[in-house]
Amino acid sequence: MKKAMRPAKREQLLGTLYSFPMGIWFTVFFTVPLAIIILYSFMKRGLYGGVEKAFTLEAYRQMINPSFAKVLVRTLWISMLSTILCVLIAIPVGYAMAKSRHQTLLLFLIIIPFWTNSLIRIYAWISILSTEGFLNSLLIRLGIVKEGLHLIYNNGSVILVLVYMYLPFAILPLFTTIDKFDFFLLDAARDLGATKLESIVKVMFPNIKSGLSTAFIFTFIPIFGAYTVPLLVGGKDSTMIGNIIVDQVSKTRNWPLASAFSMILTLVSLIGVFWMLASAQKEATGKKQNTLQAYEQKVKAHHGRSRR
Amino acid sequence: MKHIRLFLIVLLVGLLCFTLISCNRSSKSADKLYLYNWTYYTPDELVAKFKKETGIEIIIDNFASNEEMFAKVMAGGAEGYDIIFPSSDYTSIMINHDLVQELDHSLLPNLKYISPTVVEKADYDPGLKYHVPYFMGSSGIAVNTSRVPFEYERTWAIFADQRMAGRMTFLDDMREVMGAALKHLGYSGNTTDERELDEATALIIDEWKPNIVKFDSESFGKAFSRGEFWVVHSYPENVFAELPEEMWENVDFFIPPEGGMMYIDNMVIPKGAKNVENAHKFMNFIHDPKNYAVFLDEFDFPPTTNTGAEKYMENDAFFFTDKDLVNSDLNDDLGEHLDLYNARWQKIRYEH
Repeated sequence: MKKAMRPAKREQLLGTLYSFPMGIWFTVFFTVPLAIIILYSFMKRGLYGGVEKAFTLEAYRQMINPSFAKVLVRTLWISMLSTILCVLIAIPVGYAMAKSRHQTLLLFLIIIPFWTNSLIRIYAWISILSTEGFLNSLLIRLGIVKEGLHLIYNNGSVILVLVYMYLPFAILPLFTTIDKFDFFLLDAARDLGATKLESIVKVMFPNIKSGLSTAFIFTFIPIFGAYTVPLLVGGKDSTMIGNIIVDQVSKTRNWPLASAFSMILTLVSLIGVFWMLASAQKEATGKKQNTLQAYEQKVKAHHGRSRR
Repeated sequence: MKHIRLFLIVLLVGLLCFTLISCNRSSKSADKLYLYNWTYYTPDELVAKFKKETGIEIIIDNFASNEEMFAKVMAGGAEGYDIIFPSSDYTSIMINHDLVQELDHSLLPNLKYISPTVVEKADYDPGLKYHVPYFMGSSGIAVNTSRVPFEYERTWAIFADQRMAGRMTFLDDMREVMGAALKHLGYSGNTTDERELDEATALIIDEWKPNIVKFDSESFGKAFSRGEFWVVHSYPENVFAELPEEMWENVDFFIPPEGGMMYIDNMVIPKGAKNVENAHKFMNFIHDPKNYAVFLDEFDFPPTTNTGAEKYMENDAFFFTDKDLVNSDLNDDLGEHLDLYNARWQKIRYEH
């Protein structure tokens, strides 16, 4: 290598080099385990746990059964509803944060609860919602109800706690995109005759689309795989797919079935991620008429990439 | 390119070192003993005493379920343990899989204190050739009598009582709940008769499940102590551990007279254990009545397993005695018949 390489080529090589640690990390701790799960889902179940080396579709056949269908449907509607609630709450919050002069403080307030173990936060909710809990004793003291309401151990409490747990995942991406949004565009829209609501829906929303889709995916995927929340604040009919997977491994000793259910989770997540990438891509290759928009799109494309 | 190759080599060597280090659990040592026990099941006081008396240091790893323990054993991850503590069904599975070694009874004189009831129930290993019982206990029903001040039935039928609807829980455990229903109907808790199983399933779905608030094996103790749950299908030690002692008088714990599912946790020495002699020493040590009393007091357990321990115990009010267990069944290893239970449990838990 006497002659210096062309800068572009050199850069490319360096890029490959830098990505090696992450590549290996990714392979060892993500791709290989995932491959094992895929393999297990097609194997015969060992009578005492584990798998036997024989190809079979038995696990997928066992999955098709009314009990599991009911859980799948429940998981879908609970995660959809919680996600939509998260995003709906996160839009005004992100907007207020972007407009605020105390952004750093507000960011901290969003992030600090994360420093507390999630189980502790769930137990905190249990003490709030219990029939003998804070909320009910407050209501009784205020004379609003006579005896404690059943606020916990049902699907409503599961959704409430899920929204609480994953709200920051929706707020943060929405905040960053709204923060980059040029608020003068709203004034311009108002000047041109749009009402306040119209200017937000027709001008702001299209410009924060990538933030919306990120928020949606970032909340939907973890909620779809939720396990501790339905286990601890759910009732007798709050089982979600995450709980089935744990039960199959730790109680029923059916590893292939657990793997097959994990495949559903992975597939749903993959579809979500691809949808997010596609929507970011579409925006990036969209119209590039005036310079401001072109600039906006460059920023967004950049974000789309770094999120991969 | 050279850089990349160098980098790769360094990384691979690093990874290799890492794996080698983590595989090489130092287990060969004259004054060590490696236990693989249930979480919070080995009193610290006894570990310290054992070290003082014998100079042997005990190192403990924990597991939370038999399935977890067995998966680790099958994957070879339990190599290096000297004593494992499986429950009865997994003891028989491990014996059948040829995973445990025969015991040397000449090193275990304290076996004479093991209660004959326990030996009789342990039909998977007559004569204690491979295992030493650690503790025999049972689940039962705990009732908060300050919330349930009226008369109630002290059998499994309590779960059909609508006055406590929405305030009762079952363990989230297939064998425990189905076993309860089977025993209530007068069948064996290990039946493989489909008609009996269907009857038990119908009983749970139609009579019991509408009144319970959830299947809970995780936090029923806390919720019971708060007064949230009034009637819990539970292990007594979990319930009473959460309760301040002055509230104990408000708790009626009973094992239904028709019987339920009981358990025996055992000690076995896995094949390939490095400190076999130390393992025998510990098994013998724990069944010294004085030491065993410490273990029982730590968890407020009744003296079901060791006949000599009672007179050394500080605690004298027991949640149950071995007489309450006469009608109860141990979980047998059902092998492939377990699927008969699995299919019905799926319906109970997820469908209805």
